Amino acid sequence: MIACHGIGKSYGHFQVLHDVNLTVAEGECFALFGPNGAGKTTLLKILATLERPSAGHCEMLGMHGLKDKDAIRANLMFLAHGTHLYEELNAKENVAFALALRGHRPTDRDVKLALDRVAIGAFADMKVRYYSAGMKKRLALAKAMLAKPKILLLDEPFTALDAAGTEILRGYVRERLSEHGTVFLSTHDHDKTRPIASRAGILRHGALQEVAIEALKSDDLF
Amino acid sequence: MTSFNVIRWIVWKDFVTELRSRETISSMVFFALIVILIFSFSFSMDQQAAREVIAGIMWVAFAFTGIIGLGKSFSTELQNDCLEALQMVPEAKGAIYLGKVAANFAFMFVVEILLFPMFVILFNLEVVEEISLLLLIFFLATVGLSAIGTLFSALTVQIRAREVMLPILLLPLVVPVMIAAVEATKGALNGDPLALYEQWLKLLAVYDVVFTVVSFWMFEFVMDS
Repeated sequence: MIACHGIGKSYGHFQVLHDVNLTVAEGECFALFGPNGAGKTTLLKILATLERPSAGHCEMLGMHGLKDKDAIRANLMFLAHGTHLYEELNAKENVAFALALRGHRPTDRDVKLALDRVAIGAFADMKVRYYSAGMKKRLALAKAMLAKPKILLLDEPFTALDAAGTEILRGYVRERLSEHGTVFLSTHDHDKTRPIASRAGILRHGALQEVAIEALKSDDLF
Repeated sequence: MTSFNVIRWIVWKDFVTELRSRETISSMVFFALIVILIFSFSFSMDQQAAREVIAGIMWVAFAFTGIIGLGKSFSTELQNDCLEALQMVPEAKGAIYLGKVAANFAFMFVVEILLFPMFVILFNLEVVEEISLLLLIFFLATVGLSAIGTLFSALTVQIRAREVMLPILLLPLVVPVMIAAVEATKGALNGDPLALYEQWLKLLAVYDVVFTVVSFWMFEFVMDS
């Protein structure tokens, strides 16, 4: 469960987020829309405990976002713009390293299955520096699959993914939701998001307005 | 999961990355070779004169090559926003600090061991009897440099002018290490009795403990800020 209580964020005199209040329950996928610079990534980083809000606080799984950071981090996965991948390591090594730091020890078979599931198993021994942007995105998704987080945060997850990659991502989101996970994603693509999102909101000038996802049109975002 | 595992994985990742890219050690060695060659051509001196100044030259070379390595320690984490992933590790960040210190220490120590024979050859030094003492001095001074340097590498990594800021902030703080290392190295190279420069070794040991503990504690705040 994710709950935002009056979240505000400013950089100097520039107010990025203003009094954001929101609750996303277990088994729900909330899609956040908004034009560039609206504050979507900032809000995601606050939820991911990477940024400290200037006002308010968030609760994740009933834990305080500022006081229980490590406990939240153990249950949360953030697939950000940057893929958190080391270019000199191969796919298997990247997965093993990322999960080891989270306290997981996946077997070689688990890693292979996850890489196969995102259709990059054939490139498991290739250094990530030779991967395309879409392959990096898939590898980051494989890490999340093995981590099985209770909260999944996705920042523009469809960027660089082809149709097959998009379907793999949506399949994983559905899987997390069926296992009572909570998914929060920011995106510009309502067509790709509509099949998985249960609720949606638009962030404009730092203020969040909840909308019916069926009613969203691309014009709404600008 | 124990913090030891985090330390182990950070060291493993930094070693594997360095073995494959060879970016850090090669640039450190290349820079140090230039420094050594310039000094060796600048000074034409007998062995006694060399023993008086070589310790200073050696630690200038080691300190500046160390700063090159320390600067890369966290800047490599900026690629693909890997620093964010380290910030999100659900463990006390001190484990990440110790892993980075261990890796930085290893890189710096390896470079020092590779370069020392160059000093011996180019400055015509006789060091066979003092080699174990010299290694101890290298060890203690390098622990001090990497302990405080790792903290400042993390502190400056997100600053735009980090290449400039790291040495500006770090060098004043490592002055005690440099003075102690130079004095102890000079004593060992001169073949002085240990009692004459023992206090410098003690200073290095105290500095190592104090700054490792302080940096370990501060690293959590640096990573969260």
